[in-house]
Parts: sequence; structure tokens; C-alpha cells
Amino acid sequence: MLSANKLIHCLTKNNYCKLTILRTFSAGSIDAMSQPIDYDRFINDLSARRKVSPIRELTKLFTTAPPGTIFLAGGIPNGSTFPFSRMTVELKDGTTFKLEGKKIENALQYQPTPGYPPLVEQLQKFQTQVHGLDSTFWQKNSLLVSTGSQDALCKALEMSLSEGDPILVQEPIYPGTSAIIRPLNANMVPIGQDEHGIVPSALRSALSNYGSSEKVSAMKKDVPKLLYLNSTGANPTGATIPTERKKEIYDIACEFNLVILEDDPYYFLHFEEKDPVSFLSMDRESRVLRFDSFSKILSSGLRVGFVTGPKELVSRIELHTQASTMHTSALSQAIVSSLLDEWGSEKLLQHFKMIQQFYKGKRDCMLASADKHLKGLAEWSVPRAGMFLWIKVPGIADTKKLITEGGIEHGVILVPGKDFLAYDDAQSQYFRASYTVASPEDIDKGFARLANLIKAEIA
Amino acid sequence: MRKFGLLSKALPKLQTKNVPVEHTSFMNELALERKPSILRELMKNHATASKNVVFIGEGLPHPETIPFSEVSFTLKDGTKKVFTGSELVTAINYLPTQGNPKFVQKLRELMDRFHAPLRWEDRDVIATAGSQDGLSKVIEMSLQKGDAIVVADPVYSGLVSNVRPYKAQLISAQYRKNGLDTVEMKDKLTAIWSSRSKDVKIPKILYINPVANNPSGHVISDEQKREIYEIACEFNLLVLEDDPYYFLGFQDELPKSFLSMDTENRVVRFDSFSKIFGGGLRAGWMTGPKEIVRIVEMHMQVSVLHASSLTQAIVLQILEGQGWEGFLDYTKSVKEFYRKRRDQMVALADKYLTGLAEWDVPEGGMFLWVKVKGVSDVLAMVMERGLKKDVMLIPGHAFMSDPTKPCPYIRLSYSLVPMEDVEKAMQRLAELIKEEQAIESQK
Repeated sequence: MLSANKLIHCLTKNNYCKLTILRTFSAGSIDAMSQPIDYDRFINDLSARRKVSPIRELTKLFTTAPPGTIFLAGGIPNGSTFPFSRMTVELKDGTTFKLEGKKIENALQYQPTPGYPPLVEQLQKFQTQVHGLDSTFWQKNSLLVSTGSQDALCKALEMSLSEGDPILVQEPIYPGTSAIIRPLNANMVPIGQDEHGIVPSALRSALSNYGSSEKVSAMKKDVPKLLYLNSTGANPTGATIPTERKKEIYDIACEFNLVILEDDPYYFLHFEEKDPVSFLSMDRESRVLRFDSFSKILSSGLRVGFVTGPKELVSRIELHTQASTMHTSALSQAIVSSLLDEWGSEKLLQHFKMIQQFYKGKRDCMLASADKHLKGLAEWSVPRAGMFLWIKVPGIADTKKLITEGGIEHGVILVPGKDFLAYDDAQSQYFRASYTVASPEDIDKGFARLANLIKAEIA
Repeated sequence: MRKFGLLSKALPKLQTKNVPVEHTSFMNELALERKPSILRELMKNHATASKNVVFIGEGLPHPETIPFSEVSFTLKDGTKKVFTGSELVTAINYLPTQGNPKFVQKLRELMDRFHAPLRWEDRDVIATAGSQDGLSKVIEMSLQKGDAIVVADPVYSGLVSNVRPYKAQLISAQYRKNGLDTVEMKDKLTAIWSSRSKDVKIPKILYINPVANNPSGHVISDEQKREIYEIACEFNLLVLEDDPYYFLGFQDELPKSFLSMDTENRVVRFDSFSKIFGGGLRAGWMTGPKEIVRIVEMHMQVSVLHASSLTQAIVLQILEGQGWEGFLDYTKSVKEFYRKRRDQMVALADKYLTGLAEWDVPEGGMFLWVKVKGVSDVLAMVMERGLKKDVMLIPGHAFMSDPTKPCPYIRLSYSLVPMEDVEKAMQRLAELIKEEQAIESQK
């Protein structure tokens, strides 16, 4: 924010200056007038040195080559040597589909790195529909199918972080993400959450430690450039960030030139009437990298996720993928693609509704057991999405010690809150319980035992 | 053998024979700082915990929300397998990072059967999403900016993609008519170790694609493998044995692998089902020293989580159904397919390219590596004039340790394109070469 003096000084200079100031001053309302983002700022040296594989480039070129062009540049095996003739998939609702002929051949053959082309197209349409993306979105952004959403997240962090970089993260944080960040020697700057997710004032306050927004936006080193969060049913707190708060956070990201890593695997696992409004859907400046997953809604074992975001950043992830996994399993992609085709939007939405109702029931069952056994001993908010109940035990200083020493003995295991903190030396009074898989009897038994464990400790 | 008194660098240490290799010396700081992913470790613990303990910590999706009721596959030989019930659950849900336990055990048996009975106390196996993911993760475990790595020229472009971002120096030994030039390799390593220059980095890794080297098609003989292994021991190199064409060598006997002669536990081997069951499956695995497998496992825990469950279930089923003899017969049929096509390709090369180019007959795999005569650099020929003649080939630059140097090589694939079209391509290539030779001679 400029001081009044500076503003006057520039207003008297020339029109261009005035325009620049007005932009900075009202960062929240920047629209098409704003400067395009310099994505190099978000790409570390190692990632910048990744180069396209000449074989992949030639393969792409071949798709537009004149008919009669003979392609001896490929490195792929001959599909006729593969032993499969057919795969059949049956769904619980009676839908059946086959992969045979050309379809099974493709499902067994190497694919372009961004994904099995029919699936990429379906997912682009899906994203456009779900997040209300406009017609210009795909000019600036692209989508890549990843081996689970976490592989894309890992590659995004490895693309961007350098040693010593600060990174803003929601705390408590999913330990899979902190396990990526720590060995890179990046410093997590934890932003606290309330029951609605990260608190914008805490975010703003953390950022102002690094200087003014003009200063921070222009720097490449020693300032935070990434903000990592779960939008819906956060792991472990269960918080969903309300739309208004998302807008506040997004505006801060614009002001301080951040890229938002929107890690959203529980997006469809909410207990509301309508789907949440994502950061992606409000991304007027193309600064959101969004990670989606089929793991909680179709299959976790198939390892199919996808990342959507600015072309400059997704292409870096693509190059890393090219050199490592090459592409997500074509068979997995073909199955997901065929399933989406067979079902169409209506059946897919029905399926999501079924899942939502199912997990809501499981949540309510856990809440009932919590009321029964843990009232007075612990506190919790009602999760509005996701898989987890985040339980606070005010009478205990550190739940990790408690569960490590007493868990097996009392016959109950939950994840201690300490595992979700950015720093080793911190303590946590929380437990994460999951209501998704355990039976009602086990949940009840578990909480009864937890109550005993807590009482024994407090006594 | 171990004559070196000149230790001009502090690390890595030269080993005396039969002293266990310190695997941490091959790991960079990033690798050394990796810790297990707590939630993935929890999943492991759950599997072995007592039945009396109630786990209400894990965030797993409930099977009832998964829409699949049955997945089945049919093979060309008529074999059919249906995954349903608990077998479907294993095929469609999260797995431990190392892999489907039965599948991992099968892979250990495969290694014992085809390589040598291995000491599983010192080594382990991990299923990977394609063998290249394992390779990539070992590179990322080991390399630091500016590090040197020993390779054979020409070298697989996938390896180059992985090491280039580290500005790695590639120390290369050439493939020649009688195999890999091990004298060149030893001389270069000796010179490096004797050098007092700070700019000369001592390599820690030797990367090799020993059966049907991509792109040149060379197969390293068993005896030469022993020579190379000795060099690796002498200069304390970690051997990355990248062997996706292992079953596609055209000799009658399967080659002896580096892994099978690995008395010092310094070989990390990358295997793949891509060329025999399908590259789309992403079915690979890595075998190596326990500490190194553990680092790769920890990196996978926070990235892919594990290789596709369905892929693992399918491959396990096929291996169980075929048995080792059946599996071997099957791989032989695939080998025959490519051997036939190699013969056809070489016949066409003889017909159209004699006098215009040179090549060694590929001893395995799916590529012909051609050196164009009278043309110092094929880049323009392939990428501009070749495209105008409607033929697409790969210029050899993609496979050289120094891609900026002029290169007269081209890689031709004989795996896929119908032979009538290959013949047309050869005709066009012959014309291209003649035209190029004319251009070159006028310079």
C-alpha cells in the first residue's frame, strides 16, 4: 500500500505513473489490466533446465504430418506382441463396458505425457463445467493427468522450491506434503486455521513480515511465493474455506504475487447442498495450480489424478513426468475415460451424491459416539466435508506421547496432531479420527477406549 | 587391481575388496534428509498389528463408495481372470508403497530364478510406475549440480533428460565393433582420480543399458560385464543396470546380469514389463541395496504413493498362470517377433543403404543405429529435409553425451511400421543421404 505522499508525487508526474499506482492501490480489483505473471519467478533453476524430449516432440509433430509420412522415429514396442485381447469392467449399478480392439491396444501402449487424449478432453470439459471456466481459460491454462494427484503436487513443489525458500502452508498440514517440503530444505511458514480454514489476517500478517506487497511481489528469493492449502474438508481439520474467505485469500495472493496450490482431493466429499466454489473458478490472474483426484470417488488404486493451471507451470510438471513416470497408467486412464463416457454427467453426479450421503452417515455415526464417550473430555467441530474428525483434548499437553505409550495397551490408534505440525519441537493437543472405514461398533469401541486412555492420563 | 595411493579427493572413498559398500556415500543431502511418510508407515503398521487394536486413524475411502463390482481380462491364448470381492479390493484400492505384497514376493522369486539367488537381507525389490520412475528417483537420490556420471555412448535419451537439469558431466566410453571400450572407460576414470583439478568431479554412478542398448542395439557380453563390474568396484561406482530389453536380446541364452555377479552389493537394477506386456501398464520394478530401495520408497510415498494396483494384480495373475517356464516361452515368442523384424530391416538397409551408411547388426531390441557416410551432421537432413520427404527419423544427437557436437547417426525403429512402409522410408533415406552428401561435398 502506498503512502499518501507517494501517491501525490506520482499523480503529478505523468499518466502512466498514475495508472500504475491505481493498480497497486486497489489490488483487489485488478482485472484484465494487470501485468501478466512472470512465471519464471516460480520455477527453480533445476526445473528451468529441464528440456523437452526430442522423441516426444517428433511424436507430437507426427500427429499433424501429411498422410503418407512414415514414422521410424518412435521408440514404442509393437502392440501385437502384448498378450491381452480384452478387458471388461462391471460397475455396481449394472453398467458394463469392454476395452477391446483399438481401445485395449491403446490402453496397453505408451501415451502422451499429458494424458490419454480422450480422457484429457473429458477432464477439460469436466473442469469447465464444474468450475464455471470461461472460454479463454484453456488458452492460458492446461491440464495434465498424473499418477494420483500427489505426484503432480510433489512435482510442483520440486519445480518451485529452492533451498531456504519460505513456503506458506496451512497448519495443521497433511504430512504427505510436509514430507515433500522438508528434505528440500524449504521453510514452512505455518498459517493457522479456524473451523473455516486458514485465517486471512494470519496470512496477511505472516506475509507482511517479509515487507510490503510491492517488495514481496517483485522478489524471487527469500520471500514466500507459494501458498499450500486444502480447500474442502481439509486434512486433518475437516474445514472447508467459505467462498468469501477464499476471495479474501485470493486477493492477498494477487497482492503478494503468490501461486496458490489448491490441493482438493475431497472436493466432492462435502455435506452441503451445492459443490464448493473453488480457487480455480475465481482465478482471474492464472495463479492457481489445482490438484484433483479420483482416489476418494472412483478408485485409489488406479492412481489417477489431474493438475490444472497455468501452461508455464504445468509444462514444467510435464517435463519432469516425461523423465520419470512418463505418463499415468494408460489402462487406468482408459478405464476412467470409459466409465465417464458410459455414465455421462447425470450418473456421475448421482454417484457423487451417493458418496456424500454415505460419508455424511458415517460422520454422524462418529459424532454420536463422540458425544456419548468424549463429552467433557474433548472438543470438536462438525466437519462439513472430508473424512476426518479433528478432536482436541484440552487436558493433555501432547497427544503423541499419549497414543504412543497408551494406544496399543488400551487398544485404540488414532493419528496424533503432532504429525500434522510444521515443526518437530511443537506439541499438539489434537487427534485425527477418520469415520470413513471403521465400522460403527469399532468407532464406538475405539472412542470408549480413547475416553479411558484420556481419563487415565488426566487422573 | 587396487593400486591407488593418489587420493586427491576426500569423497567418495576407494573401497578395498569385500568391504561392504557404504550406500549412504551415493546419496545427496536431499536423500539423506528424507523421512518416512507417517501415514504410509501407519498403513504398514496396520497390516501387522494385533486384531484387538481398533484403528480409527486412517483416511481410506470406504469400499462401498467404489463403483466397481468386477474387472476381468482375457488373454489372446484364451486365459481369463475375473477380479471380484476381496481380489478386486486389492486390485482397485491403495497399496503399501513397496507394492502388492504377493506381487513383490513374486518379483523376488523372479529375480532369484533369472539372475541368481540373492541375499534378501541386503537387498530388496520395489514395484515402480514404469522402470524409468525408479531410475529417475535414484538419479534424484544421488546427483548434485555439476556431478559426473559414467555412461556408454550412445546413451538412452531418457537418462539424459534426468541428468541434464543437474548440469551433469557425462564421462563416456564408446561402443565399438567388439563391444564397449572398457579401456577407454578405465583410462578416463584413472585420469579423473589422478587429476588435481578442483573442476574435475569424481563420478559416483555408472549408468548402463547392457542388453540391446537404446539406441545402438549392442549387447554387452557376459565377460565384458565382468570387466565393467571390476572397474565399478575399483572406482567405487554405483552401477545402474537399466535393462528393459532384457528378454529381447537375440541370443539363445538369457544374458547374465550385473545383478547376478554383484558380490559387493553395488548394483541397482531396473526391470520392466513394458516391452512384453505393454508400456501403457507402467509396470516396472527396481532391485538393489536395501538402503537405496528405502530412499526410493520414501520418495514414492510422497509422490505416486505406489504403482497402479490394477497393473500389479494383472501382472501377478499372468505370472502365476504361466509359471516360470511358461513366462520364459512367452518372452521367447516376443523376442522372435523382433528378431524377424530386425532381419527384414537389416536386409532393407543392405539393399538401399550399402555404400551410403554403416551400421552394426542389432543384437537385440527394436532399433537400428545408422552412421551416415560423408555427412558430418545429420540434424538438418533429418529435421528439415527429411520432413519434406515425408519421413520421420531421430537424429543421433538425442543420444550423445554432448548433443552440441555434430553427429552423423540416425536411429531407426523397426518395431511398428509395416515393412512395405519401411522399404519406402529406406528409399527416401537413401535419396536424402545422396542429396546431403552432395551438399556437404560442395562446402
